[in-house]
Amino acid sequence: MTGQFMNIKKLAYQWIVDDADKTDVKSSYYCQTRDIFQARLNSMRLTLLNNKIRSEENIYIITAVAGEIGNNSFDHNLGNWPDIMGIFFGYETNNQRLEIVLADRGQGVLKTLKNAKPELKTDIEALKTAFTEKISGRAPENRGNGLKFVKNNIKIIKANLNFVSGNAEAKLNNEMTIKQIDQNIQGCLVEIKIKK
Amino acid sequence: MRIELKKFGEMLISRPSGREAFLAMSAYLIKDLKEDELIEIDFEGVKVLTPSWADEVITKLAERFKNVKLLNTKNSTVQATLETLREYSGLKIA
Repeated sequence: MTGQFMNIKKLAYQWIVDDADKTDVKSSYYCQTRDIFQARLNSMRLTLLNNKIRSEENIYIITAVAGEIGNNSFDHNLGNWPDIMGIFFGYETNNQRLEIVLADRGQGVLKTLKNAKPELKTDIEALKTAFTEKISGRAPENRGNGLKFVKNNIKIIKANLNFVSGNAEAKLNNEMTIKQIDQNIQGCLVEIKIKK
Repeated sequence: MRIELKKFGEMLISRPSGREAFLAMSAYLIKDLKEDELIEIDFEGVKVLTPSWADEVITKLAERFKNVKLLNTKNSTVQATLETLREYSGLKIA
């Protein structure tokens, strides 16, 4: 998955917008279950450590951030996937630059959080809530700390994160901005970029 | 009682695996222990920890026992996870 110089974000986007019967479920980026995701995540961790892409401690943080995002997709869509279960997970490295993409064809953040906060109306409100409020999409279970962890740690490793769900996009680095976009993503599309 | 988390893996990430770990602890390690028993949670050897896994284990151990100590918490993901649990899951252990 490294050094192929292809745009994995484009592949991920295609993977989530294609009709279900055309989606490439044979893709090596496709993780149908959580076990497959965890194995590939561990493989990424070991590759990054071997290639000394970043400090060891930063690589652990990167792995934890990607792990939270990928597992969120499984947590919030279990038994409820609209069509294809599982996630797209890919990464590539080029001259110490690292890009990780995660995507799912799930319910999206708005529909998930409406369960706990019915007054949410827009994708922008939903993303803002997900990244800043103590709330769980699986209420009454007490969850909902994962994206706050992601937000804090993106700052620590000086990364950029784009999180798209519905027609909203959150951009995180030292700050967070959320805006409406022209696309409309059914599930979630997340891109993490780390420069040298 | 010292609980060595590395025995559950060096990458502790998902909620289901955290839940399974807590069930295993409940059956074998902490069964019959009184609530004032000293519980030492040892993070030595853990490489990657997330709030999802930890919320199913650390938060629950802290709710069940009054005297919990955290050992070898230097790893960056352990530090970041504990900070998140303190802020968002009501974890009160220093």
